[in-house]
Amino acid sequence: MRREWLRGVLILWILALGAGVASSGPRVTVNFLSTQLNPIQEAEWVRRELLPPLEQEAGISVRFLPEESGAFVDRLIAEQRARRVTIDLAGTLHGDFPILVASGVLEDLTALQNNLSARKDRIFIPEFLRLSRMGGIQAYIPWMQATYLLAVNKKALPYLPAGANVNALTYEQLRQWGENITAATKERKLGFPAGPRGLFGRFLHGYLYPSFTGTQVQNFRSPEAVEMWRFLKRLWLYVNPSSLRYEFMHEPLLSEEVWIAWDHTARLIPAIRARPNDFIVVPSPRGPKGLGFITVIAGLSIPKGAPNAEAAATVIEYLTRPQTQIKVLQGVAFFPTVREASGMLPVGPERVLATGVTAQATARGGKTALLPIGLGARVGEFVPAYLDAFRAIMIQGQPIEQVLDRQARVLNDLYRATNAPCTPPDPPQQPCQVK
Amino acid sequence: MLQQRWLPYLLLAPAILFLMLVLALPIVQAVLLSFQSPGGSFGLESFRRMVIDIHFQGAVRNTFLLTALVVPLQVTLAIAIALLVNTRLPGTATFLYVCAIPLGISDLAAGLVWLSIFSERGYLNTILHAIGLIDRPVPYLSYEHPAWLFASVVLAEVWRATAIVMVILVAGLQLIPRDYLETADVFGAGGWTKLRMVILPLLKPSIQAALIIRTILAFQVFAVVLALTGRIIPVLAGESYFWYALYRNAHVASAYAVVIMALSATLTGFYLRLLRVREEQMG
Repeated sequence: MRREWLRGVLILWILALGAGVASSGPRVTVNFLSTQLNPIQEAEWVRRELLPPLEQEAGISVRFLPEESGAFVDRLIAEQRARRVTIDLAGTLHGDFPILVASGVLEDLTALQNNLSARKDRIFIPEFLRLSRMGGIQAYIPWMQATYLLAVNKKALPYLPAGANVNALTYEQLRQWGENITAATKERKLGFPAGPRGLFGRFLHGYLYPSFTGTQVQNFRSPEAVEMWRFLKRLWLYVNPSSLRYEFMHEPLLSEEVWIAWDHTARLIPAIRARPNDFIVVPSPRGPKGLGFITVIAGLSIPKGAPNAEAAATVIEYLTRPQTQIKVLQGVAFFPTVREASGMLPVGPERVLATGVTAQATARGGKTALLPIGLGARVGEFVPAYLDAFRAIMIQGQPIEQVLDRQARVLNDLYRATNAPCTPPDPPQQPCQVK
Repeated sequence: MLQQRWLPYLLLAPAILFLMLVLALPIVQAVLLSFQSPGGSFGLESFRRMVIDIHFQGAVRNTFLLTALVVPLQVTLAIAIALLVNTRLPGTATFLYVCAIPLGISDLAAGLVWLSIFSERGYLNTILHAIGLIDRPVPYLSYEHPAWLFASVVLAEVWRATAIVMVILVAGLQLIPRDYLETADVFGAGGWTKLRMVILPLLKPSIQAALIIRTILAFQVFAVVLALTGRIIPVLAGESYFWYALYRNAHVASAYAVVIMALSATLTGFYLRLLRVREEQMG
């Protein structure tokens, strides 16, 4: 009953907003708990730049409460169990939602999503809408996205292999490109963030594996995987050996130690902001099984029993407006989840990046890889399973098959112990297991 | 009477309380954590996970190798500097200050200083290129040249931490009464004999203190290695950090910390025995 009532109120509120009837009632305060934008500078930016226009427009004040992922989930579940809900709006990554849905913490936002879509001023990326429905409900409204792709110094373009389209590279062409550059400059100009706090592990499990084997986990030690590691050895001949120290690729890009670098958008953008005319951003390469790439999606949800659910819906409406999404991109380098936004971008570094992000998201043969879910406290052990294989094969020179067998056991133990499901592009399986 | 008896304890109490809070308590917590599994049960699971980790053997080997290379180098160098400073020749005061500069720099900053020298677009390559010795930048800090990587860490560590040994030894040298040296002069001892028979034996307590401090610190070496090599050269303290900060597993991180503590304690005991200081040498 309560849910029906709430849904009705939500619809009414949005209709009222759509008709331009601004509320002038007493100010309500929306408590906005978020695992995203929680570094201090970003949180300050949210409070000073992002939220004040909404507060003026709708008469709502928003208290932005950054939180770590573990504590975020614990708090929402605990509040629900204690029936003392204080959080009105909760924003986090896709991977945190299954446990919240399973714990019955979240309001079904189907009505809100339909209303937002009915406004016709924003078209959500369909893939994200599909992902945001789970357990039979609309768990969240897609909020922001990030991904990883290639930044290319324009000096590298003359060495592009004949017949290669820089916006649709294959891994073999990338290797050939690196070889051409090394032949001409005697330097190795490909770069990966394989230092301790770099994100190279994401490249292994979310890019190479799906592109070569079609899965992240299940085909971990398949013949295709062995072939993939052999390819990586050939590619590595043209990769700057300092890659094992790189953590943020904007640094070697700016010093020109490397010309072609793969990294997270947020870790590329400082280079592009510094010299927007010197770089282009292109999708990651594709392999025999397609273009594997990771999409990091953040969503906004409303906990059941939230004291100010209607006001929270207003905040969601504001945060998913194309103009607001552009503001977020320019401010903190997270990308829009609605299509209109990219086209409205002014010429500049964000546009350079957004072009690459859109090209990757809409590439033919794309294989979206999602970050692992359900590993709980042991999520930190997933990436090292891949990185340790890399170290053993590439640096210590151990036989590929042997290493893969060993690391497959590590992955299988991890998934069995946590009973975690496979995430796309792997076919559904629980617990996820290497074949 | 009562006051007399309790006063020393009363005066010591704040220091003891402080040490309990910032040292003893965390040590107990770390030991407890290391014997606990993420599930909460007690056992050797964390140590097992640590030992089978791909970085463990390398971390043990590198930590020992670094300590074995760096500590003797630092002590020898520090004795030389201390003796030089003790000659009170003109300019030694300035020399002492210059040598002590690294004392004021954090170890991560020291690592970054050397990184800016050795990286591909760093000072060394820039200078060598400018004077025409090399055509293109040489990647010194590459996994393909582990010996170079290791040498760069040794160099940075020697530069960074010799000063602390030197300060202890300079202080120790100044405690040696002039009479002994003058007596040695009277008996016709040369410089080398004086060093061997008078100065070094009397310096033993200081050398012991310096060795203990430096060895313990060498087992904790971390930031310099991290800055220069990333994780290409794993070390024990670095692994502890990675397990805590990257893998979010405080249990295995604590297991590494416990190993470092056990090694430090063993070696300290070893030094105390080996360099036993007799009463008359206490200075």
